[in-house]
Amino acid sequence: MKAKLKALTHKKIFSLLCLLLGMCLVFYIWAAIHDALNPKITFLYALTHSSFLNLKVFRNILNSLVVPSFLTMGAGCLLIGGYMDLSLASIGCLGSMVMAVALTGWNLPWYAAVLLALVLCALLGWFNAFMVTKLHFASFIATLGMASMAKGLLQLVSSFGTANGLAGPVYFQNDTLKFFGSGMIGPIQLCILVMILFFVVYGILISKTAFGAKITLLGGGPVAATLAGINANALITVLFVNGAVLSGVAGVVTASRLGQGTLMALQTNQFTGMTAAILGGISFGGGVGGMGGAFIGLLILNTFTIGVQIVGLNPYWQTVFTGLLLLFALGMDFIAMARRQKALK
Amino acid sequence: MAKTLEFRGIGKSFPGVRALDNINFKAEGGKVLALLGENGAGKSTLLKILSGDLMASEGDILVDGEITTFHSPHDAHNAGISVIYQERLMMPTLSVMENLFAGALPTKKNGLVDRKTMYEKTMELVNIFGVDIDPFEKVGRLSVANQQMVEIMKAYRRNSDIIAYDEPTAPLSEKEIELMFKGIERQKKAGKAIIYVSHRMNEIFRITDEIVVLKDGKQVTTLKTKETTEAELIKYMVGRDIGDTYSNLSRNTPSNEVLLEVKNLCTPKLRNVSFKVHKGEIVGLAGLVGAGRTETARAIFGADPITSGEIWIDGKKTNFRAPKDAIAAGVALCPEDRKEQGLIMYRTISDNVMMPVVDKMKKGLFVDRSQAAGLAEKAVEQYDIKTPTIYKMVAELSGGNQQKVILGRWTSDLMDTKLLILDEPTKGIDVGTKAEIYQKVCDLAKQGIAVLFISSELTEVINLADTIYVMRGGAISGELERKDATEESVLTLAMADSVNTQTEKEGQA
Repeated sequence: MKAKLKALTHKKIFSLLCLLLGMCLVFYIWAAIHDALNPKITFLYALTHSSFLNLKVFRNILNSLVVPSFLTMGAGCLLIGGYMDLSLASIGCLGSMVMAVALTGWNLPWYAAVLLALVLCALLGWFNAFMVTKLHFASFIATLGMASMAKGLLQLVSSFGTANGLAGPVYFQNDTLKFFGSGMIGPIQLCILVMILFFVVYGILISKTAFGAKITLLGGGPVAATLAGINANALITVLFVNGAVLSGVAGVVTASRLGQGTLMALQTNQFTGMTAAILGGISFGGGVGGMGGAFIGLLILNTFTIGVQIVGLNPYWQTVFTGLLLLFALGMDFIAMARRQKALK
Repeated sequence: MAKTLEFRGIGKSFPGVRALDNINFKAEGGKVLALLGENGAGKSTLLKILSGDLMASEGDILVDGEITTFHSPHDAHNAGISVIYQERLMMPTLSVMENLFAGALPTKKNGLVDRKTMYEKTMELVNIFGVDIDPFEKVGRLSVANQQMVEIMKAYRRNSDIIAYDEPTAPLSEKEIELMFKGIERQKKAGKAIIYVSHRMNEIFRITDEIVVLKDGKQVTTLKTKETTEAELIKYMVGRDIGDTYSNLSRNTPSNEVLLEVKNLCTPKLRNVSFKVHKGEIVGLAGLVGAGRTETARAIFGADPITSGEIWIDGKKTNFRAPKDAIAAGVALCPEDRKEQGLIMYRTISDNVMMPVVDKMKKGLFVDRSQAAGLAEKAVEQYDIKTPTIYKMVAELSGGNQQKVILGRWTSDLMDTKLLILDEPTKGIDVGTKAEIYQKVCDLAKQGIAVLFISSELTEVINLADTIYVMRGGAISGELERKDATEESVLTLAMADSVNTQTEKEGQA
């Protein structure tokens, strides 16, 4: 049975990997057909010199993972615990702006600016948790409000950093941060290594430690877990603060890469974290899933986005398809949940 | 005009439990028939079959002599049947008249809702029943009693021919009960067949014509109300073959050391609850559903806040702010609702057993999974949980085995449980497993654990508990020793319409 159970969890990852590989195959052939429309290129040449399956695209995909990966880890942990946070992207964006303003307007050293940004994010995350645990708001409502507040704060903060005092992008020059955002270590970007390290740490945290076990149990049955002595409020607070700080990291990476704090940073990533986590097998209802699945979910999402660009599809369609992918993920999750509930009756 | 309803050989089985067995009776138009029985006797299941919520496993329901099958509550409505439940099923944010006419809204020719007609018809109903209800008021803002009246008016509005009441007077005051009885009288005169479920003897004698007594899902007898007495009814309700289950239990003599002392405990739902549990003692908490037993358990466990009063455990005054604190002090609770509150259904036995001690099982930074597995293996062995492996999801276990998983959790080696609170631990569990659980509870008491045993099943409480406290309406209405306790005496204390002074003294003693 133990072996069987293991086989089952492997099966989930396995099917996700199949989905990823299948998608790659489709894009590979599609890209070849697209290229072969040019009369100078034969189909065979297009297959062997694929514009999809090559190192450059692979690197592009990896680079594009970094920013949403931190959002995915935060949203994934929250979802496993049975909560959602719609304010992650907004909080992260605010964090990036605070850093930019601290660097230019207040001339703080880079580490102080980063610290300030992350502490502010942590505070907002704590406030989210406060609304959920003490005021008993549904996490959906509490974080929706927070998302709006964070966006307002973002504009307010940016006006401190611009020359004309109006909300807008705030530029900064800092070599350390530039290196952190896009510097290379050998053939690979530094921040990609950081991302992989984070994924490993969080993966172990969720699957091996008491903290992870408690979060999963809390998500599986909040009432039963509380009555069995699991301190729900403390865990929820940690989850929301953690999610907000990770968004802050995402914001710091974005700003470091662009050399500016913008009003638009992370805007396209509003729901990426949650989409990737759910696509990766973390249940919307809580208590199911892990970081490995979330990583593959994110990989699927970004491979899709970049693949669509390469085969030359209208970028507007890309947004439509991303939505469809989320619905697909939610649908699969719903079917799995219904099946489990049916087994109960 | 007068309709009849007949149950012919109705039976209902749930996995592992026989809820109803061969029920036969006939309710006639113009008469009120009472359904009487202890908690768990099968009254609610029978009403659910009548309302179309459940399907009978066997037997037929005959309306006016014709076999009728209800696949849904809608079918039952169409057959002219209304069931008025104890927990009122209404839309609290809609107005009284919208609730009354939901499903049959009067419309104008253009298809819009005719609110004027609706208002007039509602006023008609309000006048018939002589109640002071504003048709525009939101139902959620009415008193519980008036909500009940709206429900009754709804049955009247639907012009149902067969109306069943499930303990309708429980939330009502004397005056409101009078009003409701007038309503029932009116329905009776109009030739409706009425089924009336209540625990209150005086009501049954006042308004019913015939009484069907149920017990453990079986029909014990059918009596004419005029030809019976209260004593005879109670005898029918409790008279059962106790068998050897209890006499074979190997018991313990409790010590004189007090482990739990509750002094004048008050919460919004409890009034001055005081009692003691000694080490190695099994204390039973009896009473009807809603008497405040679960609330008492939750208050002791730190799950609900208390308004006033004191709880002492092992000579220390406690101030638990969450179950976590109570568990650290050696208190454990097996909640009534196993599936929602006791267990995480889609997790393994192992996960469910390790829940409270997950922080204690560390190997470096990580959870020691092999220790967790050992803990679960031991629980499986100790309580004889029927499962091929500890990695089976608890959702796939039977109710009895699920309960054993919870017991295993609280008595594992890493726990130091001094007080075990069991809230309806044998609910929905088959007879064989029940006996096993009784013996385990006795064994735990032998180890010096104090047990607070909450149960609605009288035989169980009387035969297992060393001391029995009976609760009623959020207060203790009496205390009995096992040798003095009979089902009659407990039931009388649990159902007495007012707590008389003598039992109150006993409760405080």
